[in-house]
Amino acid sequence: MPHIKIKKGHDLKISGVPDKNIVYPSQHSTLAILPNDFRGVKPKLLVKEGDKLKIGSPLFYNKINPDVKWASPGCGKVKNIVYGPRRVIEKIEIDLDKDQDSIDYKAHTNEEISKLSGEQVLEEILKANLFTYFRQRPFNVIPNHKVPPRDIFISGLNTGPLSVDIEVVMAGQLENFQNGVNAISKLTKGNVYLTTKKNSVLSSIENVKLNTISGPHPAGNVGIQIHHISYLRPGEIVWTINPQDVVVLGKLFRTGKYDPTRIISVGGPSVKTPSYYKVRTGVPIKSLIHDNLKSENVRIISGDVLTGRNASAQDSLSFYDYSISVISNDIKREFIGMLNPGSSSSRYSLTPVFVSLSEKLFNFTSSQNGNHRAVVPINAWERLLPMDILPNELYRSILAEDIEEMENLGIIECDDEDFALCSFACPSKTDVSGVIRQGLNLLQAEV
Amino acid sequence: MQWLLKYILKIKPNFEEGQKLHWLYPLYEATETILFSSDEKTKSAPHIRDSIDIKRVMILVVITLIPCYIFGAINVGYQNAIALGLERSLIGNLFFGAMTIVPIIAVTFIAGAFWEILFAIVRKHEISEGFLVTCALIPLTMPPSIPLWQLFIATSFGIVIGKEIFGGVGMNIFNPALTARCFIFFSYPSKISGDMVWLVGPDGYSGATALSIPATTKNSDAVTLLDNVSQFDYSWLNLASGWIPGSIGETNKFIIFAAAVILMAMKLISWRVILGGVSGLFAMAYVGNLIAPYSDNSMLSIPAHYHLVMGSFAFGLTFMATEPVTGSHTDIGRLFYGFFVGVLTVIIRSINPAYPEGVMLAILLMNAFASLIDYFVVKVNINRRMARYAQ
Repeated sequence: MPHIKIKKGHDLKISGVPDKNIVYPSQHSTLAILPNDFRGVKPKLLVKEGDKLKIGSPLFYNKINPDVKWASPGCGKVKNIVYGPRRVIEKIEIDLDKDQDSIDYKAHTNEEISKLSGEQVLEEILKANLFTYFRQRPFNVIPNHKVPPRDIFISGLNTGPLSVDIEVVMAGQLENFQNGVNAISKLTKGNVYLTTKKNSVLSSIENVKLNTISGPHPAGNVGIQIHHISYLRPGEIVWTINPQDVVVLGKLFRTGKYDPTRIISVGGPSVKTPSYYKVRTGVPIKSLIHDNLKSENVRIISGDVLTGRNASAQDSLSFYDYSISVISNDIKREFIGMLNPGSSSSRYSLTPVFVSLSEKLFNFTSSQNGNHRAVVPINAWERLLPMDILPNELYRSILAEDIEEMENLGIIECDDEDFALCSFACPSKTDVSGVIRQGLNLLQAEV
Repeated sequence: MQWLLKYILKIKPNFEEGQKLHWLYPLYEATETILFSSDEKTKSAPHIRDSIDIKRVMILVVITLIPCYIFGAINVGYQNAIALGLERSLIGNLFFGAMTIVPIIAVTFIAGAFWEILFAIVRKHEISEGFLVTCALIPLTMPPSIPLWQLFIATSFGIVIGKEIFGGVGMNIFNPALTARCFIFFSYPSKISGDMVWLVGPDGYSGATALSIPATTKNSDAVTLLDNVSQFDYSWLNLASGWIPGSIGETNKFIIFAAAVILMAMKLISWRVILGGVSGLFAMAYVGNLIAPYSDNSMLSIPAHYHLVMGSFAFGLTFMATEPVTGSHTDIGRLFYGFFVGVLTVIIRSINPAYPEGVMLAILLMNAFASLIDYFVVKVNINRRMARYAQ
């Protein structure tokens, strides 16, 4: 089994690490789908307020690609459709019934799943409105189902701060995962690549090309794994899918039902008892952090602290997020902070400018720790990007909107999540990941 | 200190958009963020940020320069005492030196702050901390006998032409401190060419610098020439430990070496530039030594380890060549950039008859070529990627 060793990167020592031994159930009476979670999609509603829904009923479709629809994660009534500026659909809220019925699709035995053809698998996934679990590289958007991917990549480990441990999540789901892998392997003429850590529970999975990876974050990012296993060439498309969603697809084929549950982590310095929760897609965040916060003045993030979305308690978990992080919004202003020799107890830096002797965890806040300045390239980005990419030059070519140069410098292999650590460490407080996304949008508009 | 913070925040509305004092906002912002660490919050992902910022980077470089200042002050006093034939204690030397260099520092910072604030107000950007490092470096590169009016003009030139006309810190091509030094070098050559030693002493008291002795004597071995100087101790150890006349901050190489190690350990400067620079210096000095027997130029016979401690090479390499903005921006580029700084220093020192010291010109020249080096590094990276795509 090939092994990849990542040297560049960093594992953040952030406090509020969730306890992986207990998985709490979640109790809530509503669910919501946020169409803004899906990049480059023009949603067109298929339901209106008051409509009855089952689990798996289509909620809306993509105007650009009408075959791709979104499934309702709950059974009940459409309570509310929230529009934003210029009538953008921001939120579809569902009131849940006591009994949760699903739409029934065809169930298969394990053998039948292995014998399905690619067209059948794609057709059943589209019919169940679950195609949106796939995303493609380049651009990290929902793919066009008519173009078969070169390969499919699954990252079998999370290295992001406070993320869910895939080993714990997958322990009881191996059969469903295997069924899911068997089904989606029909969608590509290439390989399904699964990358795990050494001695993972997933190493028994068959029908995949298994790789192991070790090293600090972002080793668990699928983009980094693609770069090291089989890099993208211009014109090629690969699909990626989260392992928990492979389980969802596996269950769909095995039982004929859409099971929108996933295990997420709720953690961060401002959470009283950080732990795992079993939730459905679109769960209201309030139901997870209710009574569980250390203070009122906090920032709630759907996703992890490096890449997540700014959310509020009234908000819902995003479709592609598997964690909720809460950090404090209280910022202490130190007197002559720039001259303070820097107690490592309160300050955290990847450059050894604050002497740190202990291995303890840090209570990060939403402070930017400085003001934005012009870039002074002291190599902070290069040290954290385990790719053969020159981040500084790529950044400048994006600012110059020089699309040819961007392509030459390898932007198609990049995604903003891989550059999040660069933004974190940048002494000039430059939003590198935001600029990378800007470049990808420019390129996407061009092709 | 809460009362001060309260007061500062209370007067803040006077500087906001639309108020009478809005044009002074950059000055207000600088005062607020220097006195109290910033309270700016992240707006989007990543929601947490590293504690390091540009203020911190710049202030740390300034802190590592403090030992150079202290030794510089003592040495100024010491050289003055020798010139006058006096016996003076360490404290006495320090006091005399401080009296000489404090006005130099003051004039530099006044000139620097004036231009930085003026440009910040006119161009409506924040006051950049970079000028602190520039202004801390300029006095160290100056002879203690520099007339203050020349210093004021040179600092203004360095800040305005070297930095501000390009848009400020992060956008300049040439190191502003060296631009200031270069300005003085060519504008007032009688004072600063480096042929004669710089010290604060009686009128008419002078002598040749370590570099100008082999430069002006033909057909000799440089080390023997230096050993024969009676006026100053030009042995290797004394050149390294800095008890010689020179610019204020560059004489003690041990202090500079320690500063370089600290800055490299904190990852604020690139070890690649330093490694490249020292290798370039050794390589070119060795080549010079090979040619020396066939030439009447005594400079060629200077051994590499003498080049390392003579003149301002160590200081220039540590604090000027490693400046991240004006140097190469790629890792491999930094190695080459440093290497050529070393090579050019020896070439200018040995072969150019006009200037005994070459490090300033070498760094400025390489500043100009840094982008070219990066261009080739990027080209190689692109070609490698294209070859991969073609597989």
